[in-house]
Amino acid sequence: MSKVIKLNVIDRPKSDYTGGPSSLCPGCGHDQISGVIIQACWENGIEPSRIAKMSGIGCSSKTPAYFLGQSHGFNTVHGRMPSVTTGANMVNKDLVYLGVSGDGDSASIGIGQFIHAIRRNLNMVYIIENNGVYGLTKGQYSATVEKGSKKRKGAPNEQPPIDMCKLAINLGCGFVARSFSGAKKQLTSLMKAALSHNGMAVIDVISPCVTFANNDESYKSYGYVKTQSEELHGVDYIHHFQPMNEVDIPEGGFEDVELFDGSVLRLETLSTEYDYTDPTAAIAALHAAEVDKKHITGLLHHNTDMPTADEDQGLVDTPLCDLSEDMLRPSKERHEEIMARFRA
Amino acid sequence: MCIPEMDVSINDFVINVATANGTGSQSSNLILLNSMFEMGVPVSGKNLFPSNISGLPTWYIIRASDQGYQAPGDKTDIQVLMNADTWFKDIEKVESGSVIIFNENVKLPVERDDCLVFGLPMTKLARGINPKMAKMIANMYYVGVIQHLIGIDQVALEKAVNRQFKGKKSAVEVNLRAIEEGRKMAEEGITWDSPHAVEARQKKEGTFLIDGNEAAALGSIYGGVNMLSWYPITPSSSLAEGIIHWLPQLRETEDGMSTCAVVQAEDELAAAGMVLGAGWAGGRGMTCTSGPGISLMSEFIGLAYFAEVPGVIWDVNRVGPSTGLPTRTQQGDLNLLREASHGDTEHIVLIPGTVEECFEFGWRAFDYAERFQTLVFGFSDLDLGMNNWVCSGFEYPDEPIDRGKVVRSAEQMAAIENYGRYRDVDGDGIPYRTLPGSGLDPILYRGTGHDEDGIYSEDPEVYQKLMMRLKRKLFNARKHLPSPVIREETQKDVGIIYMGSMENSIQEIDDIIEETGLKVSQCRVRAVPLHPDIEAFIERHNRVIVLEINRDGQLYGVLRKELPINLVPKISSVAYSDGMPPRARIYADLILEVLKEGAQ
Ligand SMILES: Cc1ncc(C[n+]2csc(CCOP(=O)(O)OP(=O)(O)O)c2C)c(N)n1
Ligand code: SF4
Ligand SMILES: [Mg+2]
Repeated sequence: MSKVIKLNVIDRPKSDYTGGPSSLCPGCGHDQISGVIIQACWENGIEPSRIAKMSGIGCSSKTPAYFLGQSHGFNTVHGRMPSVTTGANMVNKDLVYLGVSGDGDSASIGIGQFIHAIRRNLNMVYIIENNGVYGLTKGQYSATVEKGSKKRKGAPNEQPPIDMCKLAINLGCGFVARSFSGAKKQLTSLMKAALSHNGMAVIDVISPCVTFANNDESYKSYGYVKTQSEELHGVDYIHHFQPMNEVDIPEGGFEDVELFDGSVLRLETLSTEYDYTDPTAAIAALHAAEVDKKHITGLLHHNTDMPTADEDQGLVDTPLCDLSEDMLRPSKERHEEIMARFRA
Repeated sequence: MCIPEMDVSINDFVINVATANGTGSQSSNLILLNSMFEMGVPVSGKNLFPSNISGLPTWYIIRASDQGYQAPGDKTDIQVLMNADTWFKDIEKVESGSVIIFNENVKLPVERDDCLVFGLPMTKLARGINPKMAKMIANMYYVGVIQHLIGIDQVALEKAVNRQFKGKKSAVEVNLRAIEEGRKMAEEGITWDSPHAVEARQKKEGTFLIDGNEAAALGSIYGGVNMLSWYPITPSSSLAEGIIHWLPQLRETEDGMSTCAVVQAEDELAAAGMVLGAGWAGGRGMTCTSGPGISLMSEFIGLAYFAEVPGVIWDVNRVGPSTGLPTRTQQGDLNLLREASHGDTEHIVLIPGTVEECFEFGWRAFDYAERFQTLVFGFSDLDLGMNNWVCSGFEYPDEPIDRGKVVRSAEQMAAIENYGRYRDVDGDGIPYRTLPGSGLDPILYRGTGHDEDGIYSEDPEVYQKLMMRLKRKLFNARKHLPSPVIREETQKDVGIIYMGSMENSIQEIDDIIEETGLKVSQCRVRAVPLHPDIEAFIERHNRVIVLEINRDGQLYGVLRKELPINLVPKISSVAYSDGMPPRARIYADLILEVLKEGAQ
């Protein structure tokens, strides 16, 4: 019996976007995120060879082995995925850079690189798989863990957290979202929108570590997130290639966020209005949520008026890695001119 | 006065100018250097500057030498005193019979009856020309005095002034006026005969002065650098700035689009990461730094070695350990570069000894990096990198760009039997690679253990085999790297093995030793891993000295490690470092001492 295989807009089956089998703990939030990455890249119809998957070190940073098996990737060193991505982006600006990192990777050892990649507006999707602990080194607290949160073993955490979304917004990042690994629909829409954004797109995804911090006193456990989080809006992603008459019009209020590639992220108003264009409103909302010991999820901030790191460079159209010798080495005639100038 | 009688020495003297940092004396010193150079006098100039922007003592040493000696020289013949802070110490160091030129406005005495002394109120005179710039212009007066003393040709001088101020009319006029005033006052006021003079020589056709950093910058541009990442650090910053300066002229299309990105990184960790990213994506990435930066980059350096990612890093060595003497010179980073990072690692290090080689290794470094799929270091130092050297011109690259074993099409891929990213299909230790974006055999590069297909592996045999292949790859690289420069005597008494900027002192050292009747051959190492010719050189000589500018004998250590064990007893280490560019006498004496200890 032949089965109909569903193809995406570039006629590829989803299996073209999957990776090797995961070796993470069963139930780990990071595996859910990998699933969403596969889904989002497939549905957006991105040619797998055009994607570069980048990561640092950690359980989260291992996951590029488990998705997009037909894409090149680089599992770099702890906390320094952004710089490697920067170098790659400079010589090949045509690739879609998709980075995954952990909260240890990004909020501690790599916080400097995280900050500077945002400052440069590096054109990439930056996913933080945030579990509040260092999973791979067996469950020490990370810098994103909330004050009062407690992992499975040991004392509760006493230090205030670094909120990576707050940080990114403060630095002027043009796309900042927070989601939850278990919120498949929301995360998929946000991921697709991030892939459609030109410039740095940060998604901080709460991703429970089932082995070290999935007890209810841990603010990043499945149980806690289910009861203590609030969506800022409903999110629905509309592909630029999708006929508009196929798109449902929501009953309540909504707002469309126009994305770089022509796609739209539709934000449906839930209980309260939220202005994603105002960075100070986002900071205030995050602050209030922290006081209430709650997570807020959705598109926190969007703004498109910054050039990307590669646009800033004024580079030739052809990716630098594809230039031929005559573009890379000054000609012999030019060389003689230069030497004559030195000798004058 | 009790001044010993002396013949006039022609083109054989040392000028030492003592000033404070930030007083603009560099222009005056370069004018002196350049005008002598214009006359065809073999000269070298060394800037001994402090780690400070303004106020601390600075010395500039100019040596004229018909023999072509470029080391700083053992003594000062003409001392210029401009700095109150070092005044008395500078006076004390001067030998009997030397010339002392001083700025009277410093208001300190010069009590040396045994010297030829001349003072001018330089600051006051300068104020008469331009009160705002008096501090700078004051320096031009000693140029005028020296011009008179040693007989610098006016045409050459004017050319040098024009060059220094890039033809800016007002600046050229003001400074020439001060120089002329100084010269005239010296003509009138100096009653004694100068013991030193310059005599014009046939200027070597086509030569010019340039520092090693600019030469390496140009070389990198000819090497097709696509991405420069850097974090400022003395003495490497001017290498990056050289690239930035030349890119618009040499690497932009007619419509002003660039073929090289420049990123000022947040630190050296990031700078190294960017180099790896560029190399991984198929571009030519480089960074330049000094010792502290290499220390920070080490983790990435190991990743590049293990994951086989090409890239270029220049280390312009300054004095370590730690922040050390940040504005002084040393060859103290060889060990660090050779084996940077944890675990078993080794790296290719190119060691230029001349500005011409800074240029050549600048472009070759990228070819080696892509050919051997590994990081390649350019190893220069402050002396070579920041001082001006006579250059005979840069030879246009005699080989096309070598992109190494990159599979770019499905046809190419099909022609390779049993492809695997880390499989040695050709038997030379170098595997093939594919680039992101190509869709050809994509893999996840990683710093973790991997098998021949790039898949994660902790298998003992897989790991061991991989490490042995990496070793083989670099061992095979030896014979492709720059071979040593050998100047050999027929009588094989003593061989000196040395590297890098020691080139500028070696001939003088050689001559001093040969005065004792020994014959000295020279072998300048230009790369590690060591070229097989070096081994042969040692075999041919009775005694071999390994000479270098550091404390521990790092090159000696490399030789001991890489040479066949039977050759090791033949080599002895002479290593010395005090932050100064190597003064020939010190090293020659140390060598003679070691030779006296007899063969072991
Ligand atoms: C330089 C360096 N220091 C320390 C480590 C050890 N280490 C590996 S992963 C990790 C923390 C990972 O935490 P996180 O980024 O949150 O990832 P998770 O495992 O929680 O997904 C640490 C400290 C390392 N690999 N490299
Ligand atoms: S230790 Fe935690 S983060 Fe790591 S794989 Fe297991 S559940 Fe996931
Ligand atoms: Mg974590």
